[in-house]
Amino acid sequence: MGADAASPIITLDRVTKRFGDFVAVDELSFSVGEGEIVALVGKTGAGKSTALNLIMGNLAATAGSVRVAGLDPMADFAALRGRLAVGFQTDRLLPWRTAVQNVALGMQILRVPYGTCMERAKQWLARVKLEAAADKYPHELSGGMRQRVSLARALAIDPAILLLDECFSQLDHVTSKALRGDVSGLIRELGKSCLFITHRIDDAIEMADRILVLGAPARLLLEVTPTAAQRIDQAAAAVLHARIAAAMGDEDENAAGTADAPATATDLHAC
Amino acid sequence: MSQQQAVTGMARRGGRSAPAGGRAIEAPPLAAPAMVRVKRLLLADRTATVIVVGAIVVALQIASIFAPAYIAPPPTLIVARMWTSLTVDPIQIAVTLARLAAALAFALVVGTVIGIAIGTIAWIRPYLRALVVIDTGISALSWMLLAAFWFKNPELRIFFIMAVLLIPFYALSVYDGIRAIPKDWVEMCESFRPSRMQVLHYLILPHIAAYVLGTTKTVVGYATRMVIFAELIGSAVGIGAQMGLAQANFDIAAVIGWTVLLVALNLFLQWAINRVEGYVLRWRPPVEVR
Repeated sequence: MGADAASPIITLDRVTKRFGDFVAVDELSFSVGEGEIVALVGKTGAGKSTALNLIMGNLAATAGSVRVAGLDPMADFAALRGRLAVGFQTDRLLPWRTAVQNVALGMQILRVPYGTCMERAKQWLARVKLEAAADKYPHELSGGMRQRVSLARALAIDPAILLLDECFSQLDHVTSKALRGDVSGLIRELGKSCLFITHRIDDAIEMADRILVLGAPARLLLEVTPTAAQRIDQAAAAVLHARIAAAMGDEDENAAGTADAPATATDLHAC
Repeated sequence: MSQQQAVTGMARRGGRSAPAGGRAIEAPPLAAPAMVRVKRLLLADRTATVIVVGAIVVALQIASIFAPAYIAPPPTLIVARMWTSLTVDPIQIAVTLARLAAALAFALVVGTVIGIAIGTIAWIRPYLRALVVIDTGISALSWMLLAAFWFKNPELRIFFIMAVLLIPFYALSVYDGIRAIPKDWVEMCESFRPSRMQVLHYLILPHIAAYVLGTTKTVVGYATRMVIFAELIGSAVGIGAQMGLAQANFDIAAVIGWTVLLVALNLFLQWAINRVEGYVLRWRPPVEVR
């Protein structure tokens, strides 16, 4: 468990989630501190999205405890209203709403007066460099623009916690890189706590204060804290990339039959 | 005609030309622009409608020469009856339109509410769905006969018949609409932790608007026929009642006149709904199929 965070805003303590006989999350423990950006990295099917759904309060844990801002996200579902926002893998814009109306949706649900909603939504569109597209419908926007609108929608409610679920993975490399830079800049500027899920190691190194590598079923294999040098210097980043990739690769070997010698403990101690 | 003109004419018809050299060459298949325009005009929907209407008028005129007026009245007599209906007794049309509008509006609201209940309340779903499906199996005539027994007031009788016939269309369509809402949108909406009413307001109602309008377009013709039928057997006022009166008086010209007015009314209603649909669903991208 990442105990570095002074005051954790998200805490998972030995959380297990089973669907019948299938174990999706296996005694997973970690925390995210206030103002911290943490990346959950793992292969497709590693249970990352299940972990996110547990944090969102969409699923109940089979065992262990999940706390978000000191609350149980499922039992205290309404109490977390306005404190938690999610950026999804696909933009999920409502096609009958213009860009500005889509950004305003969360605020409208929080019962912010309509005029204020629209004013703030326009400001957020300007922050994601889309003020000119305010009155366009989603089908009139490119994939990158739609994802920007989607992120503006999540940030517009001014949440304390931002959960990002593979939200750059559908974009091309150039658009994804530009958007990652913009979003991480915004999150740091606003001092939000952010947990983001990705299968791209580069995204994690570039954006996160701390990287948690998950194996399948979701359990912690490796925890690393990228240094500034590793973010800037390509060679240093490549070494870190290789280390994370190796941890994920070791997991494959374990799955192939070396269950007696789990890589998790070794890697965690090495870290 | 000069030789050059003759050659050009052949080429335009896509035929062979034999120039001075003697060897026949294949002329390019050029379509004459005038012919293309005529072909396009003949294939246009509006032209086809005008031609079909014209053919019916001509057929009626020819039939009226050989048959008595109470079987095949001449078109001029039909137009005269229509004019009388429109100018002397327009209240009949207004009453039918009002009945139609009231029944459609009521069925739209009640059917939508039932459809939303079926789509969103799990414990009520099987019961309401069974009720609606049973309703769809009952014939219009059965409802008309039952209404004649149950209700003394003709307005109530017609309203009841229309409501029970139209509500299932809306209920089932709205239920389908709710089932078609992408799970991703529901998850996105719920990530803001809305109340049930907010989910209804911001997600379900805008999504099902297309289904409600589509159903209205589908049922308006059926509803018009049903209101006329209900008026025929259960009222003294309205187009259906007037058609019954005309039939009793062997006034076939008036029957055809009212029928023509009904077709025009239906076309007008379809146009009006299309306009509303165009406005409400203006966010829809145009679909282009190669």
